[in-house]
Amino acid sequence: MTTKLDPGKVAQLLTQSSRQLDDSTLSALADARRNALKRQRVLSPVAALSTGRWTYNLVPHSGQQWLFTALLVAILIFSAGYWQHAQEQQISELDVAMLTDELPIEVVVD
Amino acid sequence: MFTRKFLPAFLFLPLLIGSLASAAPDSWQSLSAAQREALAPLAQQWDSLPEIQQQRLLKTAKQYPHLSHVEKQRFQERLTVWSELTPEQREAAREKYQAFKKVPADKREEVKQMIKQEQKQKAQRTDNTDTDTAN
Repeated sequence: MTTKLDPGKVAQLLTQSSRQLDDSTLSALADARRNALKRQRVLSPVAALSTGRWTYNLVPHSGQQWLFTALLVAILIFSAGYWQHAQEQQISELDVAMLTDELPIEVVVD
Repeated sequence: MFTRKFLPAFLFLPLLIGSLASAAPDSWQSLSAAQREALAPLAQQWDSLPEIQQQRLLKTAKQYPHLSHVEKQRFQERLTVWSELTPEQREAAREKYQAFKKVPADKREEVKQMIKQEQKQKAQRTDNTDTDTAN
């Protein structure tokens, strides 16, 4: 035998029964609800950015983490720029050596 | 608060420095007297040279004041030929030159002497042909 549940009636029954609970149980339930909501507030923005703990750890959260990430990016860009500069310097030194060497340039030019 | 305010500055500062460092060189007229002296053989074609080539030539020009008289002469004589090469030909020449530098010094000297003799003979042959034509 199946009984059709009316959501409105169920809510009414729950409200009535909650009024019969003692104060300590009600306050424990309220605490549990508050904690659950607190946890949800922290997790929901991250859930939009990541799919798991691994990606969660990659996203900077605090100001310090953002600063560290910015510095890391700056160092990487600076290193790349410095490496390129060093390469160019090496090429220009080689060019001057070639253009001033006793060895005629025709020997190395096709 | 501080981080949010200044984060874009931290991120874009290196990019800004990089872009300033690789800024396009100016026209022939705006080069310094020392740069114009070093790169004099390229005065006519300077403005039409690709940007990267101009930057490299300006770097080589920096070393020009420290060269000996003979080296300065060679530098300017070879500059036009060098600037007319394609980037691939210049790269191949650099590789060949580096390979030549790895050859033992005595062998390198031998090659240089051989080339000098060949050039002398070539010059003599040209002189003789000119004299014959004149007669």
